[in-house]
Amino acid sequence: MRTPLYLRPRLEPPLDALLEAAPFLHTLADSLGSPLNVLLPDRIADNAAGFRAVYRDHRLGGRVYYAHKANQAHSLVRRLTATDPAAVGIDVASLGELRHALECGFTPDRIMATGPKDPEFLWLAARTGARVNLDSPAELDQLAALVRKYGLPRADVLLRLSEFESSPSAASGTRVLFRRSRFGSPVREVDSLVDAVEQHADAVRLTGVAYHLDTTGIAEKAVALETCVAVMDACRARGLDPRVIDIGGGFGVGYVADAAQWERYTTELAEAVLGTRPALTWRGHGYGMRNEGGTLRGAPALYPAHRPTAGPGYLDELLRHPAPATGRPAATLLLEHLYDLAVEPGRALVDQCGLTLARVLDVRRADADSGDLLVRLGMNAGDVSLEEHGVLVDPVLVPRPGARTDADEGPVGVYLAGNLCLEADLITRRRVHLPRPPSVGDLLAFANTAGYAMDFHAHRAQRQPLARTVAVTRERDSWRWRLDEEYWPITEAGGPVS
Amino acid sequence: MRYDSITEAIGNTPLVRIDPAVHGLRHIDLYAKLEMLNPFGSVKDRAAWHMAGPGLAAAAERGATVVELSSGNTAKALALLAGMHGLRFRSVTNRMRVPEIKDLLLLLGAEIEELPGQSECLDPTDTDDPLTRFHQTLTGPDDTYLHTDQYFNPRNTEAHAAGTGPEIVKDLDGRAPDWFVACVGTAGSSTGVARVLREHDPGVRVVGLVAHKSDFIPGIRTIDEVHQVGLFDPATYDTIESVTADEAIDGMLTLIRRCGLLTGPTGGAAFHGAVRHLRPLDAGLAEGERRTAVFIVCDRAESYLGYVRQRRPELLGRTARRHSASALSDAEVRAEAAVIDAAEARRWIEDGAPRPLVVDLRGPQAYAALHIDGSVNITDELFEELVRGGLPFSKRQPVLLACPVGEKSARYAALLTRMGHPDVRSLSGGIVAWRDAGAPLVRD
Repeated sequence: MRTPLYLRPRLEPPLDALLEAAPFLHTLADSLGSPLNVLLPDRIADNAAGFRAVYRDHRLGGRVYYAHKANQAHSLVRRLTATDPAAVGIDVASLGELRHALECGFTPDRIMATGPKDPEFLWLAARTGARVNLDSPAELDQLAALVRKYGLPRADVLLRLSEFESSPSAASGTRVLFRRSRFGSPVREVDSLVDAVEQHADAVRLTGVAYHLDTTGIAEKAVALETCVAVMDACRARGLDPRVIDIGGGFGVGYVADAAQWERYTTELAEAVLGTRPALTWRGHGYGMRNEGGTLRGAPALYPAHRPTAGPGYLDELLRHPAPATGRPAATLLLEHLYDLAVEPGRALVDQCGLTLARVLDVRRADADSGDLLVRLGMNAGDVSLEEHGVLVDPVLVPRPGARTDADEGPVGVYLAGNLCLEADLITRRRVHLPRPPSVGDLLAFANTAGYAMDFHAHRAQRQPLARTVAVTRERDSWRWRLDEEYWPITEAGGPVS
Repeated sequence: MRYDSITEAIGNTPLVRIDPAVHGLRHIDLYAKLEMLNPFGSVKDRAAWHMAGPGLAAAAERGATVVELSSGNTAKALALLAGMHGLRFRSVTNRMRVPEIKDLLLLLGAEIEELPGQSECLDPTDTDDPLTRFHQTLTGPDDTYLHTDQYFNPRNTEAHAAGTGPEIVKDLDGRAPDWFVACVGTAGSSTGVARVLREHDPGVRVVGLVAHKSDFIPGIRTIDEVHQVGLFDPATYDTIESVTADEAIDGMLTLIRRCGLLTGPTGGAAFHGAVRHLRPLDAGLAEGERRTAVFIVCDRAESYLGYVRQRRPELLGRTARRHSASALSDAEVRAEAAVIDAAEARRWIEDGAPRPLVVDLRGPQAYAALHIDGSVNITDELFEELVRGGLPFSKRQPVLLACPVGEKSARYAALLTRMGHPDVRSLSGGIVAWRDAGAPLVRD
């Protein structure tokens, strides 16, 4: 076998220490079954503090809103309610998420309702006084009608804008192209939208504008932010008093620790697609790349798993980036125009907040000659959707304590299959390298799954069990766990602290 | 030499021997093919003219736009060619990474479109990249584009098989060099030249240079990116080696400072890669043996000052500036800046004798949107320039400085005090605190 192509996960405290606690993890899986989601709620508060530190560096006011859609767990939301109310809020995108946020203890002033909304969602948001991030002009009319009909308090609204594709900006001269989005109102129609806000002045109060762009590119976001500042200025000139620009999420997470491993892997993957080296994947899957006459076409459908800057670092980079027309850094623009900043990180806010465990059920040879193994796990592809999101990163092998290990056994390539009787149920379509062959009874820990990879696609097909979720905290030198639904930020071993 | 059109000046570039004292090779004569001396400034002039030339007249008739995926020299050459024929030129690019080239392209009349970045929340069913979509728009029914398609167009390679390659053989008295070293961008020049040289002498060794994967060298692709190039065929190269941006700049410096060759970083990369590859081979040659190697100097240095400044600022070293607010330490600012809060400032503005001049250091749009009545707007960057020359107002005129949160204004208050102004104060907490205190802001 060639040198193993590892993609080792980036592990930070306390996730790294948790992965060292093999007996604890095995006890959990023995008691609660496989698969099992393990969350570290304290880390989400640390991550929020990381974002707030960037705000502080740039002297910016405003809240960090957790995009709830990234994870359904109670413990993460409840832990966040116990942070500074002026600094941290929550972004909810459904009636269920709004109810959950309220039930966990978020007061409505800390809640931002986003996405397209059904009437019940709009009503509860307005009834409780949550901020409504309006997706369309029709939603504005609908909200105003609800407020009047049911005598609700005047609703604080933001206008979500889209389609920032601009004529060449005066200072930069280039036209930045955008990927099309289904959400928000086109910015070129903002005048009529603000007209509507004024007509509904008895029912709504404009507090800001918003955007969310699905891109890792800073240039597009800088165009959008500068456009929003101009829209806010225009609103102010009309006598409105909007205060906040919500720049959405998309700050990213670095999954793979080592840049060199990521670079080597992606290079070899391209070579495998071109056929200049043996396949790296099950049945030669190309992850979106294809070989056309010796030339690589298509784009790798892969998340950039190693990122030099992600999360708060990415926000910082964006805030330092010069706005295309004025050339002033984005943060300076916000400050000078007296606007607060709102962000809605999901994945980045739950970075390092948990892992997913799966029991090794069966180990066999993948084929006659390669030495690769086919490993069947007590989970299916819905339980850990890293692959579904294009995230390539290795699981960590957690051997069963006390089990006999053969010291001679070295690295091995394995294909990870799920517990469904379906050819397509592969946990990864690539060959994963493990430092030694797994044995039945070992655990594989998929690190850093809390963002979109834990319960986002889970289902009950074939009556296979859904993962239970536990919240784990470090108390002095020992790990404590409780079921996710039993977690409250005041709970300690032996009962609540009073 | 007299020409009817500047395009006739494309090609026939000099082949210049590099002084052995510079490269230190004892048995190998190293020559630079100076493609930077083409009229539009680079090796791409040949390919651009060869690809676009035949279609330009017809394109002009139907009013087509010339389109190419390029953020550099090909775009430059095509923009000029399009202009000569009354055509528009559009450059589509992932990112304009060299600001001077972008400005130059705009000066030449090019339109520039930047493709969107990678999706953050992956849609696994969406495996077509923006480039694929770009190609789809070009192959629409209405023939509105002349797409030169430099990464796939065989005429790119032919330009060099017909020009660059034979010129090298001619200048070496009918012999092919023993080694040919070229950076791989579109693979056009290396493939075309290699083909001609091998026809003369199948023993020619061809070294392809790519940029180090995590690095950026203008005009060179990384090892992954070359696979997306239609003209790239691994069999063209006996070896492919990578060069870092730092090495490219080192090579560029050597050629500029010691050889009088005003090359850009790509030529520097080729020189560095050539010497690095040849050094061990040179050591293995016996006394009296002579060999020849040729590398390509692709373009000139002037457009890459920003590139160099970003990576090696010390090369463009500046002397410390006088009267600079950034030279003051935080402690000095705290100790020396006079600071007043919004309420005091309001009283001073209303009742002061004399009243202070209020200077708002924010950007002009922010000032236009809302400001303290009667204030003047001097944006911080401009103010920095002004004070470098001395005090911009009389010492008898008290001054109140205001910025968003009171940090920059405190810095300048300390600096102006140091420069001898007796009464400069900074608005504590800035315009934000002023607003939060309920003090009036106006727009004109």
